[in-house]
Amino acid sequence: MTVARRPMLGKVARHLLLVPFLAFALFPFYHMTLTSLKQDRELYDRHAVPLIIKQGPTIEHYSKLVWDTEFLTWTKNSLLVAALSTAISVVLGTIAAYALARMKFFGVTAFGTGIFVTYLVPTSLLFLPLAQIINWVGLGDSKWALVLTYPTFLVPFCTWLLIGYFRTVPKEVEECAMVDGATRIQALWRIVLPMAVPGLVCAALFAFTLSWNEFIYALTFTSSSEQITASVGVTTELIRGDIYFWGSLMAGAVLGSVPIVILYVVFLDYYVSGLTAGAIK
Amino acid sequence: MQPVSRRRFLTTSAGLAGILAAGVPPARGQQREISYLCWNNFAPASDKKLAEIAQRFTKDTGIKLKIDHISHMGPQQAKHAAEVQTQAGHDLVEMRMHVPWLYEPQLVDVSDVVVELEKKHGKAISSAYEASHVKGVWRAVPQYHGMFVCTYREDLFKKASLKVPDTWEDLYTVGKELKKMGNPVGIPISQNFDSISTASPVLWSFGGMEVDKDGKTVKINSPATVQTIEWYKKMYRDCMEAEVLSWSDSSNNESIQQGKAGWVHNPVSAYIVARNRKLVTADGINHHRSLAGPSGRHETDVPRSIGIWKFSKNVDASKEWIRYFIGKREVYDEYIMSGDAFNLPVFANLQDHPVFKTDPKYATLRGEGVQYHTYGWPAPPSDRVQLITNSYILPNMIAKAVTGTSTKDAIAWAENEMKKMIAG
Amino acid sequence: MAVRADRIPIPRGRPLVARLRSWMDRETVLGPVFVTPALLLLLLLVAYPFVMALYFSMSNAFIGRPSEFIGIRNFVKLWDSDAFRQTFQNAFVFTGIAVAFKIVLGIVLALLLNEQLWLKRLIRGAVLLPWVIPTALSTLGWWWMFNSLYSVVNWTGIATGLMDPPGPNWLGQKYYAMAAVITVNVWRGLPFFAITILAGLVAIPKELYEAAEADGAGANARFWHITLPLLKPVLAVVVLFSTILTFSDFNIVYVLTHGGPINSTHLFATLSRMIGIDTGRIGEGAAISLYLFPLLVFVVWAQLRFVRKQAY
Repeated sequence: MTVARRPMLGKVARHLLLVPFLAFALFPFYHMTLTSLKQDRELYDRHAVPLIIKQGPTIEHYSKLVWDTEFLTWTKNSLLVAALSTAISVVLGTIAAYALARMKFFGVTAFGTGIFVTYLVPTSLLFLPLAQIINWVGLGDSKWALVLTYPTFLVPFCTWLLIGYFRTVPKEVEECAMVDGATRIQALWRIVLPMAVPGLVCAALFAFTLSWNEFIYALTFTSSSEQITASVGVTTELIRGDIYFWGSLMAGAVLGSVPIVILYVVFLDYYVSGLTAGAIK
Repeated sequence: MQPVSRRRFLTTSAGLAGILAAGVPPARGQQREISYLCWNNFAPASDKKLAEIAQRFTKDTGIKLKIDHISHMGPQQAKHAAEVQTQAGHDLVEMRMHVPWLYEPQLVDVSDVVVELEKKHGKAISSAYEASHVKGVWRAVPQYHGMFVCTYREDLFKKASLKVPDTWEDLYTVGKELKKMGNPVGIPISQNFDSISTASPVLWSFGGMEVDKDGKTVKINSPATVQTIEWYKKMYRDCMEAEVLSWSDSSNNESIQQGKAGWVHNPVSAYIVARNRKLVTADGINHHRSLAGPSGRHETDVPRSIGIWKFSKNVDASKEWIRYFIGKREVYDEYIMSGDAFNLPVFANLQDHPVFKTDPKYATLRGEGVQYHTYGWPAPPSDRVQLITNSYILPNMIAKAVTGTSTKDAIAWAENEMKKMIAG
Repeated sequence: MAVRADRIPIPRGRPLVARLRSWMDRETVLGPVFVTPALLLLLLLVAYPFVMALYFSMSNAFIGRPSEFIGIRNFVKLWDSDAFRQTFQNAFVFTGIAVAFKIVLGIVLALLLNEQLWLKRLIRGAVLLPWVIPTALSTLGWWWMFNSLYSVVNWTGIATGLMDPPGPNWLGQKYYAMAAVITVNVWRGLPFFAITILAGLVAIPKELYEAAEADGAGANARFWHITLPLLKPVLAVVVLFSTILTFSDFNIVYVLTHGGPINSTHLFATLSRMIGIDTGRIGEGAAISLYLFPLLVFVVWAQLRFVRKQAY
């Protein structure tokens, strides 16, 4: 029957329409990975086919990256900075969000607006004066400068995200607990937080991802090979003068993304819900 | 100024706290320690050699030396700025080209060390002098240099029986043939340093300059500039392809490595990379002496020097390191040899160095009779002059001229821009 | 009000502690206490640097040297600079085109994702990937894809007959470089648009569509008269956010073109960094980045007016 066939056709058509989008989204990653596994000889051959490996793969770019550069140090730095910044931001964000979502006190609306506004001040405006401040307090060229400054854009985001989640926890539950004698802090810790765990996980994931992704502060506040993060290291140290080590550059791009990809694959639904929560809550 | 005093307060109190905590008076400790900030050398082997030498230095003198590496250009510049700002950081810093001019007030006078070294090794070459001798005082010690060389496809030249060029005019003659063969000349005319590195020697060889040696008079509007532009126009028309207008610093390397360009002007990295990556063109690439013009044989050079920050508490120990590293002939030679002709000696008596024998293609790098300069010569590289360089006025002027603007108008534009920058 | 004194086990400590506890329990005290750490952080590391940026922009600050107040001279002098005028134009061209593409493609993709799909989770995951991966690193991949000699884009174009060899030097020619930078920005930002708009689509009650269909409205009409109007709040939020992020973008331009060729892809952020850090002219650098401010103010105002009206 033609009527029954049409919905099927429509469905296939819709999937076909998705193909260009998927190709657009995924091709760069495919190409990056492919290039990182190509031998130099084939890599730099103008007449080779860039879509496949013909002369056999190699892991020399990865081994050069890991053993001949400070890549492991950079990754360690990124992990440290992201983990600490996330911890700080989630804590500060949680208590601030709880206060804004639940309590009435002097300045609550002003502060709420203030947090929102701060989130909109871009890092590319603040990096110059912040560089001076960082130098003054003696943290110039140090990953600790990043741990100090990353919360400035993570806290507003976490707060905003968590306000939405806290609002989904029914007020009655807390009030019940408080009637039973719990303090607000106890109510927060024992009742509200466990119910808002998805929100906390979301906030932590986003904070970690945004930290790992951050570039301009990392580029400005750290410079020596021991202090830089993975993004900065891969983009600056694999180019010596006019010599570009493309194989290692691609390998670095791939390896530098691995921690995020792992988190992403495991916590995919949290990422999606986090993004949507931002828009509609 | 308010922020300055706040900074001093913080660092002073932090310093005091540190001293109190350590319980030891600073600087006059038993084991002297110095730190040296160095760039990631083109030749990774020489960084390893440097570490080795540092360990021997510690054994011989008892001074501990910590070497930190950093990516040159952007991060290195930012790091210098940060150390100057905080008045804390390394004792010794390695500096590229005329950076000593940028930080002159912050660098220790090292004339005594340089005088010693010049007695041993001969006078420092002209580019090193220009870069590190600031307003009558040596602010940094010349270390080594890497100059631009004429790199060409010897095999193609032989096949077409082309004469190896000796002047810029010769290059035009062979360039025409090369383009006909499908292997055009590759000189970038775009906003990158390679463009300036070729345009400058051409200009100098015709007797021209951007700003005079008083650092104030803009001299770009001259017959020599007209000759330079006319030369570029005919090169662009008959010897090169339009792509040079959009080249980056690595484009000329890649072009000759890939077998396209027949002649490029680049540091020796183009050949070395081809050789190390075992590319088919490696065997055919060779170098020849820098080209001359009516006003002599000039070449762009990138000298590197070592400076000591004034805020360092170990100035004497730092000078000892320099004396050990560069002053001792055997040590300096060892270091130069590990650099694979990337890092060449900057003193007159060492110009005939064994490193040139490590590969027959290095033979002509010796460069007799070549005068080496840094950007902006003969003007001293003050802030304003460096601004002219960093704004790519010279390549922009040439780009305008080869794409249709009249020579007169292009020069007028450049003169105007330069005057604005000198005026500040 | 909660009953307290008899129920809470008062610790065998001093009554002061208990008094402190109950004082802390009051909203008017706990609220500010909870909010203070974040407030302090933002005051010290956002508000204060912002004021500093204002000061720098009105001085002739140079790295390592004392500075003097010079009023708005920096802001005015910038207009003499070719590079700045070009940057100003670039910012609007870049943001305008990129956001337009993201809106259109975002809506299309969201509509597709809203349907019943096989492997829905996998597809959504794949679509979101560009947004999740660190931009600086994924831009490296694009850099290689646009490389003048080895570009896979050119190779594909030539192989499919769409381009004449050797294909454009993407990152070396004015308009191509801008196209490249916009492409990467759209590639990176599209997932954000798509997933967020999708959430908005999901929230539209199906009954509205059914009623419209019953009244004879075709798919087109349903889209223009139901979907789009109801998506407006979500679109507004996303567009406003994206405008700020795109206007103040740094990573993509810095890694891909460094602002070149001939400043044709410089944005305020990258130019500010080049002037402020690479050449040491902090005063001018700060002035450049402050040109971002008027747009920020506008966006914040628009957000507060529009979003707060809708949300509260």
